[in-house]
Order: sequence, then C-alpha cells, then structure tokens
Amino acid sequence: MRFSKNFISMVILLLFTMFVAVGCSGKQGASEPTTKQSGGSKKIVIGAALPDFDDKWLSYLQDGMKEYAKTQKDVEVIYVDAMNDASKQLSQVENFIQQKVDAIVLIPVDTVSAPEMIDKANQANIPIVVVNRIFDGVDKATAYVGSESIKSGIMQMEEVAKILGGKGNIAIMNGQMGHEAQIKRTEGNKEVIKKYPNMKVVLEGTAEWDRAKGMSLMENWLNSGKNIDAVVANNDEMAIGAIMALEDAGKLDDVVVAGIDATPDALEYVKSGKLKVTVFQNARGQGQGGLETAIKAAKGEKVEKFNWIPYELVTKDNVEEYIKKWQ
Amino acid sequence: MNSQVSIVNKQEKSKSAVSSKERVSRILHKYGMLMILIALIILMSFLSPTFFTTGNLLNIVRQMSVVGIVAIGVTIVIITTGIDLSSGSVIALVSVVAASFAHPDTYPFFVPILIGLGLGLLTGVINGTIISKAKIAPFIVTLGMMTAARGAALLFSDGRPIGNLSDSFKFIGQGAVFGIPVPIIIFAFVGVVSYILLNKTKFGKYVYAIGGNEQAAIIAGVNVDKYKIFVYGYAGLLSGLAGIILTSRISSGQPTAGVMYELDAIAAAVIGGTSLAGGIGTIGGTIVGALIIGVMNNGLDLLNVSPYWQQILKGVIITVAVFIDSRKNRKS
Repeated sequence: MRFSKNFISMVILLLFTMFVAVGCSGKQGASEPTTKQSGGSKKIVIGAALPDFDDKWLSYLQDGMKEYAKTQKDVEVIYVDAMNDASKQLSQVENFIQQKVDAIVLIPVDTVSAPEMIDKANQANIPIVVVNRIFDGVDKATAYVGSESIKSGIMQMEEVAKILGGKGNIAIMNGQMGHEAQIKRTEGNKEVIKKYPNMKVVLEGTAEWDRAKGMSLMENWLNSGKNIDAVVANNDEMAIGAIMALEDAGKLDDVVVAGIDATPDALEYVKSGKLKVTVFQNARGQGQGGLETAIKAAKGEKVEKFNWIPYELVTKDNVEEYIKKWQ
Repeated sequence: MNSQVSIVNKQEKSKSAVSSKERVSRILHKYGMLMILIALIILMSFLSPTFFTTGNLLNIVRQMSVVGIVAIGVTIVIITTGIDLSSGSVIALVSVVAASFAHPDTYPFFVPILIGLGLGLLTGVINGTIISKAKIAPFIVTLGMMTAARGAALLFSDGRPIGNLSDSFKFIGQGAVFGIPVPIIIFAFVGVVSYILLNKTKFGKYVYAIGGNEQAAIIAGVNVDKYKIFVYGYAGLLSGLAGIILTSRISSGQPTAGVMYELDAIAAAVIGGTSLAGGIGTIGGTIVGALIIGVMNNGLDLLNVSPYWQQILKGVIITVAVFIDSRKNRKS
C-alpha cells in the first residue's frame, strides 16, 4: 500500500515535470499583434493560422508567405502555431476575429473542424483564405489556394508513359485506401492510362504509404510471374520500397519506378537514376498565393474562389534544383 | 479429473476399432492449424503457378519474420492473460534510434543493435513494472506505451526518416547465409530459444501457471510480479529485435514504421491457438499462425485481388480459421 502511494506520487511528479518541460520548450505561439490601425495609416494585418511550425514542408510554405510579405508595403502578418491541435487552432482563429484582423490565412490542422472556423470568420465578416488542405464545404471560405491532387497523378503517369513510349504493363501501388490523396492520385494515373490503348494496369495493390510494405508488395508482385514495365506509386516512400525489392531481384533496369512528393530521400534516388519520376508540390508557391489572395480580399478586391498552384515534375534532369530546396 | 478418466477408459475399451478415429481427432486437435496452413498452401499453388517456388516460399517467411518475432513475444504475454499493444510503436522507436547509431564510419554494427535491443527491453520492463506493481490492466498500460513510444519516435526523428546506414548494419535485414535470408535465421533462432524457455525451464512452467490461475500461482509461492516483468521485458526485447531487422531491411529508420504490427502479431498468436483467456498457447502454433497470415498476404497479392477485397478476405479467413479450431477443441 505504501509502495503504491509512493509510486503514484512518483508518476504524478514525472508527469508534472514533463508538462513543465513541454511548456518551456513550446514556442511563443500567439504573439500579440503590435499596434494596428493606431493612427490614420492603413496597415493591413493578416492572421496566418498554421498547423505545425516543425513540419519541414509547411516551413517552406511559411517561407513563401514571408518572402511575399516583404515585397508588400504596409502589410503585417501574424503567424500562430497550432502544434497540430485542432481545438488550439480554433481558439487562435477566434483570437484573430477578436483582434479584428483584416483577413485570415488558414491551413487547417484537420479538415473536420475547419468548416466551423470558416463560419466564425464569415459571421464576423472577415475574409478567410484556406490553403493546402481541401475539404467539402471549403467553398464557404473566401478562397482556396492549393494544388489539385489528381493533377499530380496525371503528371506522374504522363511522364511514365513518355518514358515507356506509350505502351506497357503498369502496376499501381496505392496509399492507404480511402485517403483523399490515394483516390485522386490513382484516378489521375488511370485517366492517363486510358488514353493509351497499349498500356494497361496489370497489378494494383496497397502498401499504405509505407516503405516496408511497398517492398513486400513488390516482392510478391515479382513472384506473380506477371510482366511489369512500370511501378507507379502514390508516394515516394512506397516507390523506394519497390526500388529496393527490384534491386534485390536484379530487375531494376527493366522497370520504371515513379513516386510523388519529392522527399529528400526520394531526390537522392532520382539523382542516382533509380527513381525515374517524382512530383513536387510547390510549398512556397502555395504560401505566396495564399497570402496574395488574402491581401487582395482584405483590400476588398475580387478574388477567384479556387486558385490552383501547379505541381512540378522532377526527373534526373532537374533534380539538383529540388535538392537545394530542402537544404 | 472425471473426463480424463473417462478418456483413458474409452481408449482402453476400444483399442482396436475406435482408436484410429481417436487418433485422427487427437492429431486434428494438435495439428489443426498446421493442416489449415497446408490446405491454404495447396489452394494457392493451384490458383497461382508461381506460388509454390523456393523463391516465393522464402519470400513469405522473410516477410513474416518481423511480425513473427513480435508474435512470439506477444504469445508469452497472452499466456499470462496479458496483452501487449505497444509492439508496433516500439518497433518505430527502436528503428529511428538504432538508425541514428548505424551511419557508416561511426560506430561498429553491434552498437545500434545493442542500443535497439536495450531500448526494446526497457520499454517492456516499464510495461511489466507498471502492470505488476501498480496493478493497472495490461491493455491500458501498453496502450499508453503504444502512444508514448510513437510520440518519442516522432520527436527523436523530427518526424522524418533517417537514412544512410552502414553496409554491415544492412546485412541483418538484407543479407543471406547459404542462401537463407538472415531475418529467417533470426526468426528460427528466436523460435527455438523461446520454445526452450517456455517448455524446458522453470520460467515457462510459471508462465503457464500464472496464466492458468494467478491466485493459485501466488499461493504456490511463485513471484508473479517478477515473472510478469520478465515476460513483458522479453516481449519488448523481441519488438526491439524486430525493429532492428525492419530498419536494416528498408535501409532507413522510420518513425511511422510498424503501424498495426501489434494487431498482426496478436492475430498470429490467436490463429495459432493461443487463448486470450490465458494459460494456453505454443510457440509452434504462433509460427504457424504467422505463416497463415503471410501466405494470405502473398497469395492475394499474387492473384492481384483488389485491395478492398483483400481486407475483407483476410478478416473472414482469420475468423473462420479460429472458429474451426475452437470447434475442434470443444469436440475432443
């Protein structure tokens, strides 16, 4: 009994220390806005609600916003970090509304809670621009800026078709079934394949975005006895898994492998010629486009509802340029 | 007692005529799952001409060795009426930590291995200590570890994969000795060691005793707390080992690795005849269970069954296999 009491107090102490440590290491998220429209100056204040400052890809998006903000006169952007907590993000958006910012840029932590934030901004008559993460009901926001998932699948598959000369057996490696990116990317792949009568899908399976599972799936496919000319994967990690299995079997030279995302690891594989194709989602472009649209909306100018930032194709020819982006 | 006596009587009475029937049912009882595995293999061989080849069969065992090793640890935990949900997350944590010590020209290859094994053991000992000393349900404690270890893996790696591993470290997952892939050799070794532990040692006897009736074991003077910590520690150690093999195999430490592996491992144990009520389970059975899952995954991929149908079929086959097994147990 005495032991268990000690034990419980120890646990509580441990938890307490952890919370303090976490609290201290936390960033100064919601910095108070400095003076706003104090005098007659017409400074535009934009509130940018980001899900996670630690995410590398999103940090490039934020860089895009910062670079664009520098080019604008009389614009102040307040960045807040929701630390991937949807309820925290909601209160941050509420704070923006209370502060009466001129417009809000929102990258939702999750797309379930996002419509509520849009409603609140609409009620307060503050323009809200959603960036990067699309969902049903996004049309209630002032505007959406992002890339269209299906386009990445189309771009990826078109390059593969070009390499194969418009004919061949395709194996499609899906991400987690039912994810928006899985559905759209595969849909894009198949749209292209349909255009070529000599190209067909001979195998289709899921490796749940995972490298180890991509490797296993590829090993099984190699044992299926089916002739495969290209493996088209919904993301780079699965594509790398497929490459490793093909290398093991000594068949990498016969098969074209393509991924999406242009992760740092994948770019190394592109550089060495093992991964033939990947697709880059333009983070800076989305950040810049998001802020640009928000400023326009704050000034009362008319904005397009949907603003698509194009994907970029990465092959061995231009890979160096993208490797630099991650450094 | 009575039933045992009556079985003996029956056997004596009908030594000549009925005994062959008895023998069949006893063989069925003991090797039922093995027969289901063989039946599956025969079925797949008919459906796919490339299924029954040395290359593909080795491939299946190699693919299952990571989950199989985890399942062996989980089996022993389940025999004590426990459960371990943390395996998949521990794999991820070990994966990123071991990978960060496995870069070329830094440490010799055994350093990341020892660190990985130690880390796995530590998580298991923490599980076991909280379960036995604080008397919190294993489901809750290991669920907590599952969440915390995943978080720690993401924190440690900043959410990104850790690549650039030395060739000597990669040998564990990618190498082969006399044509047999190293993961299979490790899997077999773990199987043998665990079999001996469970069947030839005091440890094994106590594990079954705790699972059969914990109160009775306590009264009989078994240090239940100590053995529970051993059991969870061993499961953690094996998760660590699985994490090292996985990392070496994919040449990268991944914070998102091992998702749902704990459920595959539990499924392998249960298909292999381990009772979630405790006290019953064997290493051989679990290995057969793991191979059944492996044959299904592989066969369905070979036949290019749609990913949607694969999930449904796997669910049905697992349930049916265990149903057949349980009916057989009841009859005999």
